[in-house]
Amino acid sequence: MRPASFASALVLAIGLTASASAEPLVTADWLEENLENPDVRVFEVSVDVGVYERGHIPGAVHLNWHTDLVDPVKRDIASREDFQETLRSAGVTPETTVVLYGDNNNWFAAWGAWVFDIYGLGDQVKLLDGGRKLWEAKGLPLDTASPSHEASTLEIADRNNALRARIGDVLNVVENGSDVQIVDIRSPDEYGGKIFAPEGVKELSVRAGHIPGAKNFPWGKAVNEDGTYKSAEELKAAFAEIGIDGSKPIITYCRIGERSSHTWFALKHILGYDVRNYDGSWTEYGNAVGVPVTNLAGTVWTGK
Amino acid sequence: MSGRRRARGSALASSFFVGQTMTETSPSASHSAVSPLRIAVALILLVGLGVWAYTLHASDAASRALSFSLLTGMAFGIVLQRGRFCFFCNFRDFVEKRDPRGVLSILTALAAGTLLYHVVFLAWVPVPLPDRLPPTAHIGPASPVLALAAFAFGLGMAIAGSCISAQLYRLGEGSPTAPFALVGAACGFVLGFLTWNPLFLSVISEWPAVWLPHHFGYTGTLAASLGALALLALLVLALAKPQPSAPAETPTLSGAFHRIFVEQWPGTIAGIAVGIISMVGYFRVAPLGVTAELGSLARTAADTTGILPETLYGLDGLRGCATMVKEALFSNNGLFVIGLVGASFASAIVAGQFTPTRPTSGQVFRGLLGGALMGWGAMIGLGCTVGVLLSGIHAGALAGWVFLTFCTAGAWLGILLIHRFA
Repeated sequence: MRPASFASALVLAIGLTASASAEPLVTADWLEENLENPDVRVFEVSVDVGVYERGHIPGAVHLNWHTDLVDPVKRDIASREDFQETLRSAGVTPETTVVLYGDNNNWFAAWGAWVFDIYGLGDQVKLLDGGRKLWEAKGLPLDTASPSHEASTLEIADRNNALRARIGDVLNVVENGSDVQIVDIRSPDEYGGKIFAPEGVKELSVRAGHIPGAKNFPWGKAVNEDGTYKSAEELKAAFAEIGIDGSKPIITYCRIGERSSHTWFALKHILGYDVRNYDGSWTEYGNAVGVPVTNLAGTVWTGK
Repeated sequence: MSGRRRARGSALASSFFVGQTMTETSPSASHSAVSPLRIAVALILLVGLGVWAYTLHASDAASRALSFSLLTGMAFGIVLQRGRFCFFCNFRDFVEKRDPRGVLSILTALAAGTLLYHVVFLAWVPVPLPDRLPPTAHIGPASPVLALAAFAFGLGMAIAGSCISAQLYRLGEGSPTAPFALVGAACGFVLGFLTWNPLFLSVISEWPAVWLPHHFGYTGTLAASLGALALLALLVLALAKPQPSAPAETPTLSGAFHRIFVEQWPGTIAGIAVGIISMVGYFRVAPLGVTAELGSLARTAADTTGILPETLYGLDGLRGCATMVKEALFSNNGLFVIGLVGASFASAIVAGQFTPTRPTSGQVFRGLLGGALMGWGAMIGLGCTVGVLLSGIHAGALAGWVFLTFCTAGAWLGILLIHRFA
């Protein structure tokens, strides 16, 4: 290699690494270049069973959404001890750049990013823009071997509850007028109360509708055709259309908190807004007793 | 009973129980029997299926899985037809004629698949941790209800003349029983849906899904499985009687063509091929099974009548050929079965074994009754000889061995009953 081209390659490589450390998203091309980088650890968070095993991005570690990111008994995110153990066995250190990706439009990978953030690793975590779908669409390689990494001694922080909204926080907005904007990222039919849950998903709430005052911003409005996030400018304009401009704290929610993690990621990491994810979401709020509900369609549960 | 009535009853019974052998065909000894027309029909069919698989194959994983399922089904159909890989017929040959070849073919398939599955497991789940199971492998609960379901399945396949996978490949041979056996199986599935909830709540839910590597590790499971299969093979060989066999020929072009496309493949070759297809299918898409689509069709049809329970408890959380109400026209399992039937039909045409005949009332009755028993057993047991016995034993599931034991017992009883009444 000639000195000039070597130098430009070096500059490019440094630039790529630098861009990875500064930006919340990495591109498939960047990731392909960095698969051998020992400071990059890739995790797949796919919700469909067997997807990871039948072919994942080479070297990616499996984070099982059902067991590694949530508490398998009570409805909660994974405990600090369990999550720390998972990351240690994957060899994550404070210097590691963590890249998350997954199936289903990266929803569960974004949930993973939120959990990483809650445990103080937000600055280290990136999402693969476009997720598994784009990686496959570009014909990039997949691997079926289980990676093995030398365990680390990572210590993660206690939960940062400032990133998480609980039902009390939401009621504080609805009933006490706390100056927070709520964003419902479900489909217009769920938001409007015509349906209790999207097609193919169990109806796990006994009331339809939305949290009073919530603005509807279906999650898909934040992405392009290929599943990548829209640019910061486009996102800023799209949210501004429904009156969300970052001047007030925001709470995002959906049905179980995973789709809203995707929007939470855009608001927090791409736009830098003050935003919390309400992971109880409609399956908690829509079942809670005595809470105010706006049901535009007037659908009555099991009623004719 | 008077003598006349007894004679009439016996004639009726023999028309019920003897007709099945008509579907069996023996390969012709002639080397020049294959007409170009038959080859052309088979080629058109296979190429058509191949083109379909090619067009299905797109950039997303779901389309690739559909395409691969169709191709795997075709491979499975050809091997079943060419190798006469029929669980029941092979077992009956051994019981009635002491011919060990078919049973050895099944044992070979179980051994080869077990070995190959472990290659996949060691890549995917290097350490069999207590709370983890290999993804999507058919490791269902090994309960007394499974034993009962397997027994019913075994009895049903004796009455109908073969199990569900063999009925599917025999559909491609023009079997007069197969369509009725499949209709019967669909009805049996509906009976399964109606009885699932009480059986699940009272029994199945209390029994764990036992994965042998959790208890013996991979080495222990492999050693125990292959050891048990070797013992069974020894037992079969010890009880076997010499069978007439064709003299070995010097290989020639026409001879080789005949041996591949017309004569029955050697059991060990078919067995190894089944083991390979099982592993390849699991590696790329899902464990082999032939009843999920049939069950889903039955469930979708019955769902509209409102007789089914709205929820089948626990089915989401159990491994095996679980059924669901259909939402998409083509599923992986549906295309697998279409490939199986289409390719076995092509294979049968070339071999001159597509011999459709008008069904007798006995064949209709046996097909429906045997099919219903098999359908009920396959729904309650979460699979059949392919989904639980083959894919289960390959995966190191105790349930596979339970199915093998009780299905064999049921088939044995079925053979005894048939001899008694015929």
